[in-house]
Amino acid sequence: MKPLSPTLRDNYRYVAFRLSFEDPIRARDLQTEIERTTKSLFGDVGLSKLNVRVVAFDGTKGLVRCNIRHVPELQAALASIGKIKSNRVCVTTIGTSGTIKAAIEKYLQIEEKTRRNISSYVTVPVSGKAVRICGEEIDIVPEDRKTVDRADVQFIGITIDDNERLI
Amino acid sequence: MHAYVDIGVHAFPEGADTLKRLTLAAYQLGFSQIAVTAHSPHWSQFPDSSLPLGVEIVAATVRDLRKKIAFFRDISTIISVHGGDERINRAACKDDRVDVLMHPERGKYSGINQVTAKLAEKNEVALGLSLDYFWKTEELQRSRLLAFQRRNVSLCKKFGVQVIITSDAYSHLDLRAPRQLKALAGLLLLSDWEADIALSKAPLSIIKRRGQKIEANL
Repeated sequence: MKPLSPTLRDNYRYVAFRLSFEDPIRARDLQTEIERTTKSLFGDVGLSKLNVRVVAFDGTKGLVRCNIRHVPELQAALASIGKIKSNRVCVTTIGTSGTIKAAIEKYLQIEEKTRRNISSYVTVPVSGKAVRICGEEIDIVPEDRKTVDRADVQFIGITIDDNERLI
Repeated sequence: MHAYVDIGVHAFPEGADTLKRLTLAAYQLGFSQIAVTAHSPHWSQFPDSSLPLGVEIVAATVRDLRKKIAFFRDISTIISVHGGDERINRAACKDDRVDVLMHPERGKYSGINQVTAKLAEKNEVALGLSLDYFWKTEELQRSRLLAFQRRNVSLCKKFGVQVIITSDAYSHLDLRAPRQLKALAGLLLLSDWEADIALSKAPLSIIKRRGQKIEANL
């Protein structure tokens, strides 16, 4: 079939996003979850209007494409994602652009802090095992799981200022 | 540019993240300030050196609510009431010592009617719009709660009740950027401009108003 001429094609906007997660997420699972959430919020017709697709995703940052008229709906759909395969996540939009090139240059060239695994027993501010450190952020698996169960997460989040011994 | 504020955040030991971690995450998202509020049963778990800025009073009866308001009004900057029960919602709106009525729709019905809305307007009680239903609930439960919220927002707009938007976060994974919260508020009949006020001017005015009241009493 002959391809559509550029003036007849749909116009898209590219939304750059950052993903915060407890366990790593695959691009395919993210695409499925975005579609599921959009469908849940706006229905089949809404999903077809948005025409949403994950263009790029490197594990922490990525680009989603949607119809130019439906960017607020996409932002609402991304904000509504709370879990992917029972793994708590948070999708934060960084910015919107008209081309992939501009979106990458403007929003995706910021270096992310590397996340590394540690294993250290802590007692302040909570007794447990510090398992991850990313910049100033430290994740702790607590002995008493009451608080994390209440918040529906796996880790207690602290910063280096809360426990300077871990630097 | 607006100074965005979230006054419904729950920090460790009630929530999963410490105040510093939440502040760091909120700052990265574009908030200029967050105010930790603790549910009243968890208040005593906080050390005296880092008491939360606000309290969200959980009460079983109206009498219990009044007692707790009297106890917390001198030690807390923001007095919120954990809504849901219709009698509690109405009692909270009747009391001018209350600053915010949080999520009144968590009961059987939407939680407020025209009488409650008029009382809230008269006593300067703001309606706390928790947007966490979008990512914490699913399908039918979500649609039911959002219908209630939409009705409450239209009542507040009609009677001039102040609305504040919060994420009701228990961890940094519950925080959302202001522009995302505005997009979600747009689905609840709030215009971009109204959502801006609900995220910036309204919560700031609550924090300032409380300080002015304390100064006047002194």
